[in-house]
Amino acid sequence: MNMTVILITLVLLAASSYYVGLKKSVSIQKSEKLHSAPIYHGSLIAIYSLIVSLLFISMWRLFENYLYPEFSLSKNLIFFLSLLVFLITALIVFLKIEKNFRAREKVENIIEIFLLICSTVAILITIGILLSVIFEATRFFSMVPITDFLFGTHWSPQIPIREDQVGSSGAFGAIPLFTGTFLIAFIAMIIAGPIGLMSAIYMSEYATKKTRDIIKPLTEILAGIPTVVYGFFAVIVVAPFIRSSGEYFGLNIASESALAAGLVMGIMIIPFVSSISDDVINAVPQNLKDGSLGVGATKSETIVKVIIPAALPGIIGGLLLAISRAIGETMIVVMAAGMSANLTANPLEAVTTVTVQILVLLVGDQEFDSPKTLAAFALGLVLFFMTLILNYVALNIVRKYREQYE
Amino acid sequence: MFDNEELLKETKSQALNSETVGNIHVDDPRIIAKNINVFYGDKPAINNASIDIGKNEVLAMIGPSGCGKSTFLRCLNRMNDTIDTCRVEGELFLDNENILDKKTDVVSLRAKVGMVFQKPNPFPKSIYDNVAYGPKIHGMAKNKIELDEIVFKSLDKAGLFEEVKDRLDAPGTSISGGQQQRLCIARTIAVSPEVILMDEPCSALDPIATAKIEELIYDLKKNFTIVIVTHAMQQAARVSQRTAYFHLGNLVEVGPTSKIFTTPQHKLTESYITGRFG
Repeated sequence: MNMTVILITLVLLAASSYYVGLKKSVSIQKSEKLHSAPIYHGSLIAIYSLIVSLLFISMWRLFENYLYPEFSLSKNLIFFLSLLVFLITALIVFLKIEKNFRAREKVENIIEIFLLICSTVAILITIGILLSVIFEATRFFSMVPITDFLFGTHWSPQIPIREDQVGSSGAFGAIPLFTGTFLIAFIAMIIAGPIGLMSAIYMSEYATKKTRDIIKPLTEILAGIPTVVYGFFAVIVVAPFIRSSGEYFGLNIASESALAAGLVMGIMIIPFVSSISDDVINAVPQNLKDGSLGVGATKSETIVKVIIPAALPGIIGGLLLAISRAIGETMIVVMAAGMSANLTANPLEAVTTVTVQILVLLVGDQEFDSPKTLAAFALGLVLFFMTLILNYVALNIVRKYREQYE
Repeated sequence: MFDNEELLKETKSQALNSETVGNIHVDDPRIIAKNINVFYGDKPAINNASIDIGKNEVLAMIGPSGCGKSTFLRCLNRMNDTIDTCRVEGELFLDNENILDKKTDVVSLRAKVGMVFQKPNPFPKSIYDNVAYGPKIHGMAKNKIELDEIVFKSLDKAGLFEEVKDRLDAPGTSISGGQQQRLCIARTIAVSPEVILMDEPCSALDPIATAKIEELIYDLKKNFTIVIVTHAMQQAARVSQRTAYFHLGNLVEVGPTSKIFTTPQHKLTESYITGRFG
């Protein structure tokens, strides 16, 4: 008797117990006034019995798997026991049904607890992810000193097997990765910030409704393109274009460059900037705009002096969200910026980013006792904290903005 | 008791195609409106309204909700331009210039015809910057001293200077609603307009703040022509010299305020003033 059958049986039983509870309360209702509507009595029987029997099953499994394996029972026995538990619970609730039984309050309580659990799931999972990353990262830091990792300028995670092996120094200085990440994110923001903001201003202040209805969804399509497709675009179109225009000016540019990756990433995050900015600009009350126009300000004066300052916190929030998106982006960088960890500020050189290196470190065969693999978790941890801080700042700025006009 | 719906039906038929009752002309007009028609999309909002607005007078526009009085007010400084579907026909002369003409520079028009809105709308800037906003845009002050003078004078004229002189750097949104509205009036008069339009300036204020604004309107009349839209008939009676009554897009009756409120000629005006609908 497998678990699926048990579950289906229990659900069917719950459905019929609902009906039984409903019947009884309806028959009471004929003569007397009930405290709770009949559906609450039915629901209470079904929910209570289901919860108790499921709890019973999971407790039993825990018990036999981890604590006393010698007490292991056959699956059939568990099945019958759980049915028994179900029926006993159902019977107890059934007997309690009478005109003053407060079934509604109990059902509402269960719903509230259920909602509470749902809302904490995301938090618990975040904590779980964080703990697992921290756990592996501490193992890494026991092998490589944390200062070497955070402040080292040389990244070469191959561990030498022989003394004389070339290119495998086992250096874990993360600085080149973070500079690469910030360089690319910076280039991306130079593209996405102004273009996104300007297009938001156009859409919210100048465009007619018709134009806006066309442009806005089309811009948002950009956000729906898979990043790997942006990667193609970077490799096939943008990188060769940069290379050939560099040759025109006599520059020798690698076919993989931070510039190509940054440009394409910038295009990718335009919709983040533009649609959040558009929302906050639209949220600036019309009467503020009227007030400015009313003293004889032009449209552009109104935008620069009233609307943008009023919407600024929201716009900054949008930019920060876009930055954290750019920092976390992997695919475009793998394809367009290369994998060599150069410590450089020159956008025409190949660089690599934190996320790319995590990917590289974890692809293929891994041993979880080598610093090479564990370095990925340390990188992930630092990246996690950086984007967490960025998001926190962004959310706070957005929240502050909300208070301004209320 | 009487049947409101019956009355409305009757008044609707009366309102249609009716001529404006009373004298629409004044001796010394500042604004002359001729045959103004306004449409929102296909829907007519104002029907052939003509009226003169005199120098240094307060003209009150009253009427039930949706009668077109605010729409008419917004024609006077072309604020209706900000509404895409709105179309205005007719002629509106300010200093012998038809301001409805496409060639009219809306920006300088709005500097001449200032507006105070229903809800106080100070910018999220300091009190000082709120008032300095217009003068700065129009380059009215050569230096900080001149700008200070304009700001202080405007605040003073709006009766707000004494209350805020110690906290000119405080945000304009931090003062009370009545003070905010007077700040908005100061902002408007800072660009020295000729005409000030007020769209129900007291509807969001308490009675004390309202009384202050009404006193202010009385003082401002010396230097400005004021057109005020109001729902409070007592207010119209207190502050204005002339009153225009709008009904369903028609300018029904115009006359001296004392006459409109005591011996209205049109039946609709009488019903409105006596509170049969509104």
